[in-house]
Amino acid sequence: MSSKYSLGEFEEVVLLTVAVLYGNAYGAAIKEEIEQRLKRNVSVGAMRTALQRLEDKGFLESEFGESTAVRGGKRKRYHKVTPLGKKALDYVMDSRQKLWDAIPSTAFRFKYS
Amino acid sequence: MSDRKTDIKPPSLPLKALRWFCDPELLEDLEGDLSELFYSRVSENVRRAKLLYALDVLLLFRPGIIKRFGQFNHINNSDMLLNHITTALRQATKHKGYTAINIAGLVVGLSSCMLILLWVADETSRDQFHAKGDRMYEVWRNLVQSNGDIQTTNGIPLPLEHVLRTQYPDVDAVTSFTWEMESMFRLGEVSSFEKGRFATPGFFDVFSYPLIVGDPKKVLIDAPTMVISDKMALKFFGNDWREKAIGQTLRLDDREDFEVTGVFSIPANASLQFDWLVAAQSFIDRSSWASSWYNGGFSMFATLKAGANVQAVRDRIGTEVIRNTNHESNEPLYLQLFRENYLHGTFENGVPAGGRIQYVRILSAIAVFLLLLAAINFMNMATARASLRAREVGMRKVMGAQRSTLSLQFITEASMYAVVSTLLASITTYILLPYFNSLTGKSIHIQFSDPGVWAAFGGMVILTALLSGLYPAFMLSSFSAARSLKGKTKHGGSSSFRHALVTFQFAISIFLVSGTLIISKQLSYILHKDIGLKRENVVSLELSGELARKKEVYMNSLRSVPDVQSVTITNSSPVNLDMSTGGAKWPGKDPNLKIEINVISVGEDFVKTMGMSVVKGEDFSNVFLRDSARFLINEVFAGIMGYDDPTGRELTLWGTTGTIAGVVKDFHMSSLYDPIAPLIVRYDPKDTYTAFVRVNGNLHTIIAEIERITKDINPAFPFRYDFLDEDFARQYKSEQSVSSLVNIFAGVSIFIACLGLLGLSSFSADQRAKEIGIRKVHGASISALVLLLSKQYATLMVLAFIVATPLSWLYMNRWLGDFSYHIDMSIILFIVAGLVTFIIGALTIGYKSYAAAAANPMKTLNEE
Repeated sequence: MSSKYSLGEFEEVVLLTVAVLYGNAYGAAIKEEIEQRLKRNVSVGAMRTALQRLEDKGFLESEFGESTAVRGGKRKRYHKVTPLGKKALDYVMDSRQKLWDAIPSTAFRFKYS
Repeated sequence: MSDRKTDIKPPSLPLKALRWFCDPELLEDLEGDLSELFYSRVSENVRRAKLLYALDVLLLFRPGIIKRFGQFNHINNSDMLLNHITTALRQATKHKGYTAINIAGLVVGLSSCMLILLWVADETSRDQFHAKGDRMYEVWRNLVQSNGDIQTTNGIPLPLEHVLRTQYPDVDAVTSFTWEMESMFRLGEVSSFEKGRFATPGFFDVFSYPLIVGDPKKVLIDAPTMVISDKMALKFFGNDWREKAIGQTLRLDDREDFEVTGVFSIPANASLQFDWLVAAQSFIDRSSWASSWYNGGFSMFATLKAGANVQAVRDRIGTEVIRNTNHESNEPLYLQLFRENYLHGTFENGVPAGGRIQYVRILSAIAVFLLLLAAINFMNMATARASLRAREVGMRKVMGAQRSTLSLQFITEASMYAVVSTLLASITTYILLPYFNSLTGKSIHIQFSDPGVWAAFGGMVILTALLSGLYPAFMLSSFSAARSLKGKTKHGGSSSFRHALVTFQFAISIFLVSGTLIISKQLSYILHKDIGLKRENVVSLELSGELARKKEVYMNSLRSVPDVQSVTITNSSPVNLDMSTGGAKWPGKDPNLKIEINVISVGEDFVKTMGMSVVKGEDFSNVFLRDSARFLINEVFAGIMGYDDPTGRELTLWGTTGTIAGVVKDFHMSSLYDPIAPLIVRYDPKDTYTAFVRVNGNLHTIIAEIERITKDINPAFPFRYDFLDEDFARQYKSEQSVSSLVNIFAGVSIFIACLGLLGLSSFSADQRAKEIGIRKVHGASISALVLLLSKQYATLMVLAFIVATPLSWLYMNRWLGDFSYHIDMSIILFIVAGLVTFIIGALTIGYKSYAAAAANPMKTLNEE
């Protein structure tokens, strides 16, 4: 089951960000969004390979959009989360939730004497 | 502002790099993203933006972004290789018979090839170890005869050594030594016969034999000193010879004492082998002939200084003998690089003209051919059975395999065969090496520590894989996918090419077999030829120690042994003369006639013991005639003298004038490579060193009796004897060993060719099983079917015969031409060779064809 939805931490972040930016999720925008929201540096290379991997896994799909002068006439590639990608995100959240739920209430009762 | 902004562009070099390595599918939006980022950064700091751009490009250089260079994805390639190996293994285990044939052929071919290469490496490494080898020359003397013939000898007048040392600034070092002698050495109780030479100082400057103990600059200078080999030192001084040997005195032939001043060792690949070197001075002192320019008896070697002008030295040395004999001897000298002498030791017209090199060439060619034959088997089998692989090839092509991938697959398959066969062949070679050594008289070891050996093995694997794999790879990968999947590829590949290869294999085999027949016939001709003297049943005994002093007594006691027919003494073996003169004179001799005449000194009963016949006059048996100098000459010399009857004529040899008592029938006194030369037999019992005894009866008892007599007279020396016919045969040792090698490898070539034939014929029998069944049902007889199946290959063998015979004829004619006395080649030999090959081949095909023809048609027709 888990192999079906294998999703790394960074991949999960990227996938979620694509969902956040729905309709405007192209490379530079995703990078900027992650950097702003999560306060972490993202290299173009790391992000691009993550996008590629997610697409290979079927969690993302992409299509070319319009080109702008600032891009040197190059088109944007817009990404969209697929239903499978949604399932993967659900699965990850679910499994986390299950783990949270399973934590006994005493586990986090830190008392320092 | 906006104008300025558009002027600034992303740095071009990183962009170019990105465009070069980036996967084209990802390039467009990546480039866009990067440029967007760049422009957003530019507003802050242009240089920083450019730097970050370059950094981003650098970080993009990672798997997943980089495009696939070339056709292959390299990660996938190793999987493909595994797949190829699996497929090859499945194929090999599925058709075990064919696999066995392929491997057997390759192993036999490769191990023969390895053995030959080891032999060749051993031959070519001879004498290559001398440090100054590139400027170390041996002096040769060309004796120019009046009729234009040139005899070349390495017997050089000793005075030349002094001239070279003192008057030639380009000469670095020079040394001379005598011919090989066998002498007895004694130290207290220990005595043994050892072979060696008398050598002048400078020996260790010229030759690089390592002197283990002693100073190379000081040995061989003082007269009564000697150096000995480590083997001999061990014999006399035991294990601690290193400490003990120096300063000890050995007694030579119970006559003279020599002090040991050094111990040397001899590398196995040295052609000059000896166990002792005695300072030549004592030999020179008692050999008055040695100081004359007219007598050559020493081998002479010189090293030139580095960078010396060889041609200038050659030109100058050429005329030394002529000048110093006041033009009496027309004997130009020649310098040959010593390290080339072993392989190029045959002289023609005064210059080197081959020698053992021709055997090295012949065997190298055989090695290549054998490997080729085995590779052809593989090739033929792979292409003949291509139809079985056609579907696989078609399927792979449909799945997108490139032609190059398919070629790689078949090359991989061939490589696997090559690796396995080379491994098996090296084991076989290792096991066979001792037998091979005893056959060739060598002591070859495989040095596994030598990287060259591994390089050779690796080279063999690659060569075998390419030779056998390239053509099938090319052919099998060319199938059209659609046609082969429809099953339309019939047999695959042109069978005419395959037939050409089979013809080639058999042509090689017939060539080798006919060569073998001719070589062994020539050898047996030599070894059994009537050489003018009866060499069988003659025992030779060296006159050493007391025997030399009591020759008469010894001969008389030998004569008294029952079954001894006659006894004589001579100075050298009559089948291997070692004395000659250019100074014989007779009345009426043309003063311009220059001729080298062989000389043998003999005692009583020479003609009788050797079983020779006197054509004119009489031999020395007449006691009265012995008092004055008497000579016998041979027919060749008589012809040169030009008298009708030379008996009673005067002849002057070495200052002694005598008469010619008679003419002996010509006999061969040296190798059959040379024509019979003129000869003088002189009666001089004092100048003799060997006794020859003609016996008739039980050899065992006679030898025992001779031993008893010899020991009686000469108790200090161990008893040793030899046979004249064996002495004669030893001259052709290298021919005999090459002959047996060619013999064996001719057999190997037939074996390999037949293996291939077995594979091909059984395949075609399998293919045609149904056809044969139907023919049988319709009443075809077994013999007709066998003929039907065999016809094709039989034709090829006939064709091979037609191709091979003229080539073999040409080549063997040249080889025989080197012998002055040789057999005539007859077509019969070739027919025999062809028939032998044909019959073996026919039996191979016939075996499979018969099995196919005799099979019950029910069985073959039943299955579907």
